[in-house]
Amino acid sequence: MAKKTPATAPATSADSPLQSKLRQHAEQEFAAELEALAAQDDRQKPPGWNLSPWAVKTYLLGGRLADGFEVSPKYVGNGKLVEIAVATLATDRALLLYGVPGTAKSWVSEHLAAAISGNSTLLVQGTAGTDEASLRYGWNYARLLAEGPSTKALVPSPMMLAMESGQIARIEELTRIPSDVQDTLITILSEKTLPIPELNQETQATRGFNVIATANNRDKGINELSSALLRRFNTVVLPPPDTLEDEVAIVSRRSEQMGRALELPCEKPALEEIRRVVTIFRELRNGLTEDGKTKVKSPSGTLSTAEAISVIAGGMALSAYYGDGQLKAGDLVSGMVGAIVKDPVQDQVVWQEYLQTIVKERDDWKDWYRAGRSAS
Amino acid sequence: MPLHLFGIRHHGPGCARSLRAALDELQPDIIVMEGPADAQEVLAQGAHAQMIPPVALLLYPPDEPRRAVYYPFTRFSPEWQALRWGAAKGVPIRLMDLPQSLRLAQPTPATTGTPPLSPNPPEAAAANPAPAAQPDPTSAEDGPPPADRAPDEDFDHAVDNLPWRVDPLAQLAEAAGYRDHELWWEQQIEQRANATGLFAAIFEAMRTVRDEFPETLDRDLLREAHMRTVLRAVRKQGYATIAVVCGAWHAPVLDETALDGKRPGCKVSEDHARLKGLAKVKTTATWIPWTHSRLTYRSGYGAGVQSPGWYDHLWTSRESAATRWITTAARLLRERELDASAASVIEAVRLADALAAMRELRSPGLAELNEAILAVLCHGQPAPLQLIHDRLEVGDVLGQVPEDTPAVPLAQDLSRLQKSLRLKPSTMSQPLDLDVRKEIDLARSQLLHRLGLLRLDWGTHRSSGGRTSTFHELWQLEWKPELAVGIIEASVWGNTVELAAAARVIDEATRAEALPEVSGLLHRAVLAGLAGAVDPLLTQIQSLAAVGTDVRHLMDGLLPLAQLARYGDVRQTPAGHVEPIVVGMLERIVVGLGTACAALDDEAAQRMQESLGRVSQSLDLLNRDDLERDWRQALRRLMEGGAHALLRGWCCRVLLEKGALDADELYRRARLALSVVNPPAESAAWAAGLLKGSGLVLLHQEGIWEVFDRWLSELSAETFVETLPLLRRAFADFTGPERRQMGERVRHLSTASTGGPSRSATAPGVEPIDLARARVVLPVLAQVLGVPVTPDPS
Repeated sequence: MAKKTPATAPATSADSPLQSKLRQHAEQEFAAELEALAAQDDRQKPPGWNLSPWAVKTYLLGGRLADGFEVSPKYVGNGKLVEIAVATLATDRALLLYGVPGTAKSWVSEHLAAAISGNSTLLVQGTAGTDEASLRYGWNYARLLAEGPSTKALVPSPMMLAMESGQIARIEELTRIPSDVQDTLITILSEKTLPIPELNQETQATRGFNVIATANNRDKGINELSSALLRRFNTVVLPPPDTLEDEVAIVSRRSEQMGRALELPCEKPALEEIRRVVTIFRELRNGLTEDGKTKVKSPSGTLSTAEAISVIAGGMALSAYYGDGQLKAGDLVSGMVGAIVKDPVQDQVVWQEYLQTIVKERDDWKDWYRAGRSAS
Repeated sequence: MPLHLFGIRHHGPGCARSLRAALDELQPDIIVMEGPADAQEVLAQGAHAQMIPPVALLLYPPDEPRRAVYYPFTRFSPEWQALRWGAAKGVPIRLMDLPQSLRLAQPTPATTGTPPLSPNPPEAAAANPAPAAQPDPTSAEDGPPPADRAPDEDFDHAVDNLPWRVDPLAQLAEAAGYRDHELWWEQQIEQRANATGLFAAIFEAMRTVRDEFPETLDRDLLREAHMRTVLRAVRKQGYATIAVVCGAWHAPVLDETALDGKRPGCKVSEDHARLKGLAKVKTTATWIPWTHSRLTYRSGYGAGVQSPGWYDHLWTSRESAATRWITTAARLLRERELDASAASVIEAVRLADALAAMRELRSPGLAELNEAILAVLCHGQPAPLQLIHDRLEVGDVLGQVPEDTPAVPLAQDLSRLQKSLRLKPSTMSQPLDLDVRKEIDLARSQLLHRLGLLRLDWGTHRSSGGRTSTFHELWQLEWKPELAVGIIEASVWGNTVELAAAARVIDEATRAEALPEVSGLLHRAVLAGLAGAVDPLLTQIQSLAAVGTDVRHLMDGLLPLAQLARYGDVRQTPAGHVEPIVVGMLERIVVGLGTACAALDDEAAQRMQESLGRVSQSLDLLNRDDLERDWRQALRRLMEGGAHALLRGWCCRVLLEKGALDADELYRRARLALSVVNPPAESAAWAAGLLKGSGLVLLHQEGIWEVFDRWLSELSAETFVETLPLLRRAFADFTGPERRQMGERVRHLSTASTGGPSRSATAPGVEPIDLARARVVLPVLAQVLGVPVTPDPS
């Protein structure tokens, strides 16, 4: 069943070159790796899975196969989290990836679906306007009027397709979906069935079906999950990068790439400035200085790695167009304040306190202190 | 073969279980255990019915109790099980390790400044200059005796172990392909269901490791020599079956071949040579209650058990340990009103099993269980998991020792102090008047304060009665018999009153959540003269100040610190570190003041005004111009902003006092604040704020009275009555003479403003006075004022 290609999966015929697409699906981009893993996977597979849990883990975390084939790491971070995620899916529980924005939730969810079902396209994007039809089924009204209710007039949702084909359905931004629509999921997750009262039928989930949802815990105005729904998910929280070095590496690589993509006539950002930006981000995010000695208040914003990258990129643009092409504290600080001060009152206090108590005390940070004072 | 070796891991529940089974099978005549030989006398007391683990065997030189060495025992310790088994069967137990009397006599490098025994890391970190004082986690699990981890021990571990001998378990675990050595032992030994041949296997494994990596450490060679000597003696006494319980690492050098001197380095003569002529000190041994939390690494000198609660659980619920663990966790969460349904428990168990399968483990271990609980029961939130860690994984278990246990060092220290300070404990309640300027009275006062911190309420501090001087302290002393039990309980904190009180107060501070609580503790610590506790408390204050969102907490906590910074105090407390913290707090107060003063109701504004007053007072104490300037700016912002009228009025007043506000501006502000367009209550609050404190400053502000007067006379009758109580209160705080002078002022003011020429005469547009008509009323006026009428000059 799992091998069946669902109707919505895009055709990948030879005459539509993938290269012209801006972005490929995980299962297309890493088809070779999935194939190699499948070929050597001799361990027990849960029903309906393309790969065994061990192979799925290797696919996500990377590694070398027995024949020397190198699998690239998709998720850099705590491998235990991936183990929990895979074990959750293997026990037929739905998986909720939770965390602040910019922690690779959707990325992990896409790759899990690609590795387990070979298809990451059964996707419901959660928005405030998501209605029941996107989680259950809709109707082709022309047919409905002409022929009356019938299976042919039914337009299945990605969720329904996943149930029929025994694949993984993905829900992005679950908490943005209105609460009454979220409740639809309860039956699907506990009874593993989708009733169609109009036809007096039901769609029962084939083995292999499961749901991966992502949600972030920082946004305001979201619809908190009811405890009934939350209870049906196992929650895995994806954290921001562990160490300063990891984060500096991610930020400097990405901001360099961005600088190239934007064709900025700017020098490569100095590692020292990147390190300071990342340090400030980490210290404010963790509420603790990197030496672990002093506590600081955290602002209301997320201060994700992605934001640090955009601060650097913004600073590079500023220094390239209006400065001397050298990335300096003054170029970075306005972007920095913008990233930190999301709430004009509380966050301003946090930032001022940080400037006064931490930045001021560091001898080699004088330029940042001056820039910070003049910017606020 | 009469000798049976049981190589164990200290505090391993699996080992303990296997050991019991093995002892039941073997039925030995005598058990020889690893443990200091000089504790032999009190060992029998371990079998006492009132002895409830966790407890610790304590050895200390009587004259130097702070060098005590602890050997903790828990329910799941193999040694404890052997002890109990022996007691139940009437089998004698012998301790064979090198006596502490010899070990403590060894020269210990630079241990004079031994850190106090602390149950928590901040203090250990703060008080201990040696970074290596934390026990090496990898070394903690095998060879060393049950728990010789008193601080000085750690120290010499750290010093002479720099090339620390090979961790035998690490070698074996790595050979088995495990990265986590702890995990390897856990999986291979502790969770093993069938223990047949376990000890033989451990023995074999250790022998191989020791062949590869021979023991090189002098101290351990010495210990092993002593162990062999004891074993030889026991063998000579003709016991038929001897069970030897020792750390797995030592087992290979204690077997028959070694005892016969046939193993290299184990010759009888060599052992004799090693043990000859060692220096000796006197030691005393006793039992004290122990806690689970002090068994963990967290305590700074743990016995190598990270999760005593989990081991205890493994020991008690052999079957379905995982399920029971998750169920217990769920019940704990429910107790705290967190959702944890039975269905979730089932899912958590399933996830833990699946994780164990993925990791190719026999059954889920603690890591898998924690991860499953986190994902299913806690919905990914780490806070409830921390609760589970503290309450279940570590656990709050406190052991008990029988009442007739020999005195603990703390009690001895106390009686020594009682003697030297001439304070005899008496069950009669009697008063004690101390003059802390005298040395002995200061020491007495500190002792009583320290005991108070340890919850040993021998004396109750009473307010200093009629005398107002700060150097007098009045106490009521009453010794209660139950204090003896309290001392035993308090002895987990340290071996001298000073160390124990410091450790306790630091522990309380780390648990405290609000800043005023900690500054209160700091105050008490200063009174108790706990110099060692001041720095950690200040650190704690600093970190609470950094994250505290309640600016008022900061403001209220500032004054005691400022006093400490300004005066030190009569008790010679080192106070040099205080000022930077005060400055930091003040900076935070200045930054957060605007937000903290916004949108306050009358009552909150009242409290805030009091807090502001305390900050001002602190600043006056500190006498620092830069801070003063910042503070003035902050007050000015507050005065100009939209804060509560009471605060704005008060700021006006403070700035006026400080000379940062001139008369013209005050006049302008008063007119604005007391304008009729404002709600009368607001104007009244402003006035009340302005009138706080001494009246003298305001007396000479001409303009202000004029504005007051105009405002009052323009109030309608109804609002006047409404605002009257508030104004009455505002003026009530002034002293009598001040009020009288104010009255004079107002009277003069009213004549001046209604008919006085001072202002109105110069004002344009006022008609000149018709002198002839005015003169007509003069006689009547003179009559009223009681002055003689001057005859008309004209």
